[in-house]
Amino acid sequence: MKLSLNWLSELIDISDLSVEQIVSKMVKCGFEVEAIDKLSDATNLVVGKVIECKDHPDSDHLHITKTDIGCEVLDIVCGAPNCRQGLKVIVAKVGAKLPGGEIKASTIRGQSSNGMLCSLKELGIDESLIPDDSTSINGIEELDDSFNVGETDILNKLGYEDTILDVSIYANRPDCLSMYSMAQEMGAILDKEVKLPDYEFQSNIGNKGNFKLESKSKNCPHFLAKVINDVTIKESPEWMKRHLRANGVKCINNLVDISNYVMLETGQPLHFYDLRSIPNKEITVRDDYEGPYVALDGIEYKIEKGDLIITSDNKPIGIAGIMGGDNTKILDDTKSIVIEAALFDHAQIRNTSNRLGLQTESAARFSKGLEPMSQHKAMDRAVHLLLELADAKTIEETVEYGKADYHPYEISETLTHLNSLIGKNYTMQEATDVIRRLGFQYRVEGDTFTSIIPSHRSTDLKISVDIDEEIIRLTDFDDLKSTLPLMPQTVGKLTNIQNIRRSIRNELSQLGFYDTVNYTLVSKKYIDETILNDNEAVELISPLSDARRYLRTSLMNSLLENLAYNLDHNNNNINLFEISKIYDSNGEQERLGILMQGSIVEHKLKHINIKTDFYVIKGIIMSLLSKLGFSSQRINILENNIDTTHFHPYQSAILMMDNQLLAIFGKLHPSFVKSLKLDDVYYGEVLLDVLANSKPSKIKAPVLNKYPSVSRDISLLLKEDIKVAEIIKTIKKVGSHLVSNVEAFDIYQGEHIEDGYKSISLNIVYEDPNKTLTSDDVNEIHDKILNELISTFNATQR
Amino acid sequence: MLDLENIKNEALNAIKNADSKLLEELRIEYLSKKGKVQSLMAQMKDLSSEEKPKFGQLVNDLKSAISDAIDKKKQELESAQLNLKLESEKIDITLDSYNLKHGSMHPLTLVQKELEDIFIGMGYNVAEGPELESDLYNFTKANTPEGHPARDMQDTFYVDPTHLLRSQTTAIQMRVLENEANNLPIKVICPGKVYRRDDDDATHSHQFMQCEGLVIGENITVADLKGTLELMIRELFSQNASIRFRPSYFPFTEPSFEVDMTCHICHGKGCSTCKGTGWIEILGSGMVHPNVLEMAGIDSKKYTGFAFGAGIERIAMLKYGISDIRDLYTNDIRFLDGFKR
Repeated sequence: MKLSLNWLSELIDISDLSVEQIVSKMVKCGFEVEAIDKLSDATNLVVGKVIECKDHPDSDHLHITKTDIGCEVLDIVCGAPNCRQGLKVIVAKVGAKLPGGEIKASTIRGQSSNGMLCSLKELGIDESLIPDDSTSINGIEELDDSFNVGETDILNKLGYEDTILDVSIYANRPDCLSMYSMAQEMGAILDKEVKLPDYEFQSNIGNKGNFKLESKSKNCPHFLAKVINDVTIKESPEWMKRHLRANGVKCINNLVDISNYVMLETGQPLHFYDLRSIPNKEITVRDDYEGPYVALDGIEYKIEKGDLIITSDNKPIGIAGIMGGDNTKILDDTKSIVIEAALFDHAQIRNTSNRLGLQTESAARFSKGLEPMSQHKAMDRAVHLLLELADAKTIEETVEYGKADYHPYEISETLTHLNSLIGKNYTMQEATDVIRRLGFQYRVEGDTFTSIIPSHRSTDLKISVDIDEEIIRLTDFDDLKSTLPLMPQTVGKLTNIQNIRRSIRNELSQLGFYDTVNYTLVSKKYIDETILNDNEAVELISPLSDARRYLRTSLMNSLLENLAYNLDHNNNNINLFEISKIYDSNGEQERLGILMQGSIVEHKLKHINIKTDFYVIKGIIMSLLSKLGFSSQRINILENNIDTTHFHPYQSAILMMDNQLLAIFGKLHPSFVKSLKLDDVYYGEVLLDVLANSKPSKIKAPVLNKYPSVSRDISLLLKEDIKVAEIIKTIKKVGSHLVSNVEAFDIYQGEHIEDGYKSISLNIVYEDPNKTLTSDDVNEIHDKILNELISTFNATQR
Repeated sequence: MLDLENIKNEALNAIKNADSKLLEELRIEYLSKKGKVQSLMAQMKDLSSEEKPKFGQLVNDLKSAISDAIDKKKQELESAQLNLKLESEKIDITLDSYNLKHGSMHPLTLVQKELEDIFIGMGYNVAEGPELESDLYNFTKANTPEGHPARDMQDTFYVDPTHLLRSQTTAIQMRVLENEANNLPIKVICPGKVYRRDDDDATHSHQFMQCEGLVIGENITVADLKGTLELMIRELFSQNASIRFRPSYFPFTEPSFEVDMTCHICHGKGCSTCKGTGWIEILGSGMVHPNVLEMAGIDSKKYTGFAFGAGIERIAMLKYGISDIRDLYTNDIRFLDGFKR
């Protein structure tokens, strides 16, 4: 909302306040002022008269002038085509500050120049506020005879001296998109009397006519139309033009200007039609029209069902609430008009306006909602101004579809409730003083004060806390004390999954991984190359771009993107992880992605470089699980038979916990990473929901064995495809409680070993919790294990 | 007697200059069973019974004097040898160390953790909810019915006519209210990701994080809200910080406030961070709207409550001096490395 202080000063006496004081009070009362603008910031201007003008000898367009500014005559070089002798002009003197810079005495192609003859544009005035017929469009501004040489009050006289506050209006105060409501608000904020013009019931005039009005849409419940058969088109008065300009509205003629002015004043958008374009004297609002339509701006819009359209004789004549039609607009020779003041549903107007990309002042106001008496107020004011400024005659009676009336209602609040909600001690005097400043009528009965809500505040004041907010808003609130809620004591704690996330982040960041956060929205490529997800991806209805069209279905591609980015920036040895939700047609899941590339330990001087491999990422995941309380007994590492597109078929695995799939990890498939211009990447993705739903083992103190352990080695020759885990499992099974640890310490294939076979050496530690094992005891169990291994795996002892 | 003295001097002199090999030879020469000291005992038989013990004592003294001297010399020699060895092991201590890798927690994680810990300390729980949310919880139950102009304030990403990527963690609050309506009071914070239709630039991100808080109980006041937020800001930024309320509008609170805190850079004097005002806008808050309570089935006559919400990115940017929000989503390890500790 643009608030012109000149306009405001006509309604409230603000002569005792500086702009800063006004702004600071507004901010305190809940109106943020985004910008404080002047229509023009130009300084050091004076009216001059060109007393001599000749062509510059060395230029085809420059003029050398002698310009009289009253106290002296200046030599000024000017490039404007309309510069000529006898012209009254705006002179920016040496030292003047213009948007283009400060004016300095200079020499232009050998001719001295001590100032500048200006156009309105050069004074910083927005082009949209300069009349189309102004000489400033193509040259310097030509002043009329009302200006005297030497005069300095130029901007004010031209109507360009004003301070405009750009006020941001919250969604609950659409009424403040009108000057009159804003003035009442300012009256309350500044505690000043507000003088609003009285024009109520001005439209209750006219003879019976035969204009017909109907709405065939529930989204247009109220419509006022009024025919005025005789109006005179002319220029608007200066005061109106000033107010329009200050609001950034271009002045056209009195009719168009009045419709815009009434909208600014009352917040109700109006539309004036040329009656000649509605020959059958009938208007119907419809929402079932489909097809193209050319609006006032000359652009063709595609109208769909649901859009509110003003029609006459079944043909569209305007896009309701957004923009009038080219075929019905006010022309220079318009003689008779129809005034439209209607209520269109805010949500529908917003939809249509957004879809058509057509944001107008009118659409903005309808979209935010109007107060109930808005149409009547605007019609009254429009008629009032047409009578005064357009010689309106032969007026017909207002035609009304639907009904709008307003019965002021009451909101009661008690001082006790107010103070108990706020935690402050307002007196009745303080509370009701706010109601008085708001201009509401009120009464007090004991502890209760009752406010009577006028129509313009009925959109946001509904219940007692709304009144409480007004009181807080309009009183000094900085002295509110700070307390803490008095409540039963509770234990605050994290949930299981929240604890899991924290443990993972602690553990992985200590192991050298960086915690990352990536975007949920990704491109099609990301969801096409997904892992551990067969469900359909979720797509946005209207994405900002194709790069952010889908919700990611796994974390892998985001981490690969991070990797590529880091490698591009010469960051090496990248270990990353992310904990995040992923999404698909089945809903959301939480996952952990772990990515490793490069070395885990590197010391160049010492020639040490340990590269990440399958066993490193396996170790990371196993240590993480053990940290979270899931022992290796519950875990099974199996060959990856579910995704060999993204993973190396022989260097990847799936991890089952309690027979449920928990993770996939390993080396990424060389052809997949090659397509991303990467190589040797290790990746794992863990299903955190599975983890969160599994019970970690309880912490139990280990019982230390008092008796010594005995260590024995075993060397076997067996088929190469037999997995070490199977051998260990067999040893533990046979050895039962006597085997406390088994570890493979050598695996060998090559010379002296037959093809297809491997030699494996294991160390077994024997222990009995109840006694010292004798040599015989150990021999017995060791032989039993050996025999079992030989028969099960068809192995031979070496 | 003279013999004894001579042997002693002779031995001690020899020991003084011996190396370790000679020292062993000296030990044999003097102290072995057939060594010079032991052989003195042979003289015993020629002595009178009064002199015998005295002589014996002298021989023993001689023995321990030589033995001590040998031990001492041995230690000396060993320690000299060790020193030589240590010296030969001298290294350049200025060479690069092993780079023991430490990763880091993301700044957004750090801020979220800090917020969680502050509020857990006050007995709050941490609530969560789905990011792919129904507009019922994201808007309708938050007193923002369809067509409400405030839905415009947050242009959103819908995936079907009624579901969207949540635009505010208020959606979590609405779920908590519904679930806990019969289990009052409520004290929770709700951190999480949210999404809005913004083009990404230095200060906007289509995805960001919020942390909202919700307290419902009897006699909860605006002053309680102020006290709670003041405590939070002081823990997060500076124990000297204060806050002020500015009236604002959110559909789900009434009255509503924007909350400013004392600028943590200039401590209120005015600087470029706070645009000279001494204050920084840090969060939004208010008293839970009676409509919201009633929609959740809570008696708004009996219970009141407050809610607040802050942007985690905003806090991180202020706290750590981050000037471009996109840095939080690029995951450049040079950036992440700064959050090691």
